[in-house]
Amino acid sequence: MDAPPIHVRGLGKRYGSVIALKDLSLDVSAGEVFGFLGPNGAGKTTTIRLLLGLISPDSGEGTVLGHPVGARGVAWRREIGFLPGDMAFWPRLSGAETLDFLAGLSGRLPVARPRLLERLGLTASELSRHVHTYSDGMKQKLGLVQALQCAPRLALLDEPTKGLDPLVQQAFYEIVTDLRSAGATVFLSSHVLPEVERVCDRVAMLRAGAVVSVGDVETLRRAERRRVVADFSADVDTASLAHFGALIVALPRHVELLVAQAAVPALIVRLGMLPLSDVVVERPTLEEAFLEHYR
Amino acid sequence: MSVGVLLRHHVRLHRVPLLPLALGLALFEWMMTFVAGEPSVSRFLTEALQAAPPEFLALLNQDLLLGVSARGIVGVGYAHPFALLMMAVWAVRVPCAALAGEIGRGTMDLVAARPVTRGSQVAAALLALLGGLVILAGAAWVGTLIGLAMRPLEGVSATRYLPVAVALWLIFACFGAAGILVSALAREAGAAIAWLSGLLAGSYVLDYAARVWPRIASLRPLSLFSYYEPQQVVNAGLGPYDVVVPVAVGAAALLLAFVVFARRDL
Repeated sequence: MDAPPIHVRGLGKRYGSVIALKDLSLDVSAGEVFGFLGPNGAGKTTTIRLLLGLISPDSGEGTVLGHPVGARGVAWRREIGFLPGDMAFWPRLSGAETLDFLAGLSGRLPVARPRLLERLGLTASELSRHVHTYSDGMKQKLGLVQALQCAPRLALLDEPTKGLDPLVQQAFYEIVTDLRSAGATVFLSSHVLPEVERVCDRVAMLRAGAVVSVGDVETLRRAERRRVVADFSADVDTASLAHFGALIVALPRHVELLVAQAAVPALIVRLGMLPLSDVVVERPTLEEAFLEHYR
Repeated sequence: MSVGVLLRHHVRLHRVPLLPLALGLALFEWMMTFVAGEPSVSRFLTEALQAAPPEFLALLNQDLLLGVSARGIVGVGYAHPFALLMMAVWAVRVPCAALAGEIGRGTMDLVAARPVTRGSQVAAALLALLGGLVILAGAAWVGTLIGLAMRPLEGVSATRYLPVAVALWLIFACFGAAGILVSALAREAGAAIAWLSGLLAGSYVLDYAARVWPRIASLRPLSLFSYYEPQQVVNAGLGPYDVVVPVAVGAAALLLAFVVFARRDL
């Protein structure tokens, strides 16, 4: 059986006294869209740079497309597409020159370029301009094209929708879906939770350099507590409901709690004994799951 | 293959300043042949140099007798600070922009994430450096050649200045190699430029100071500029030390650059 495109165990990186990443263990399967979530400084970019061999790990090991992490060999990188988090180009080159140069370095034909340009809305006249005249959004689009133009087997995308308008974001989601259909693996870091929820098969949440949770989006959601909102027609002792979960709001006629999924039936029974006028049980969004991890 | 792609990239980034630098050098050396052929200029220079303090003559890197001959005046063109500055611009610009410049600008990740070895990045920078210096030193010599063809000077042959142009190329190739090492260590072009410019200026000042101040004369071999003596090359050709020292220092710097850049975090 082929090794997974990304397989790492105990990967760590320090910058002096700062721990950028500690004990990262992950497997990303072929054809999977994997989301990497975390606040600024959580270690998302460090992880991607480690996978690419741009920096060397202080601990741990792993493989990317079957090659050891940090390997300075080059052939395996032909099959990788990379979008950096901080997009920078050569200001005096045109967009077309930039794409040609980077495709030339990849050593593969930019077979996907025309379709990507069309979907992302980069025109020939825009490509003929120097990159220093581009807006941030156009630079991001150019970044996406350079990353994906050679139809990579593994795409490592660091905050891919940064600076893109909603229409182009939509186009990007479709591109990711097509990549998955074509059997490519996509590893993307993001702050944009609805985006991850929408396009990713699995998600890892990173905090202070360590993974706090990995799973498919649905499982992560299920593992999180439900939000229960109840209104009463008469005053009740809402504080007495505290043993069911965490009280967020406790007013005489209104209560909001975060309750473990298993405790929801018992809470509903208890609420039924009270002068209940309305009750809502909400599934958490990925954003709430995310925030709960980082509170 | 990636070395070729990277080399074309360097050419595209640096070709615009290369043209005025080459033209400036060619024009300057051409002008020196005209200055050397003017009797009034020779007379003026003879009187001026006889009156000049030795410290000033040391700055021109030549002795008095050669200076007042036509051959010597043409040779001054290769030791003049203008010519050195033109060469230094390229020797600083290309290495510093190639590695540290790409890291500082943020474009290194785009290059290094592709199937490109670190060694090929250093090699491409080296080829761009050396190729540009060939064009510049060649332009200087072509300026001399054209000048002497337009106005022949008795006893002065353009071929005598070919080894001088080679020596000029060698010394700046050596500085450029040191620049590649500095660039391989730095994270910003600005820092690399500062270090390399400091090395160039320090070496120049040490060479000059050691010429005029006998107490530190023994330190002169520590300056790379002490291995660049245009007037001696005109008379006697390239000396072994003028070749061996720049080649050895440059090769050592390059070897270190390859090792350092291959191992560093980008």
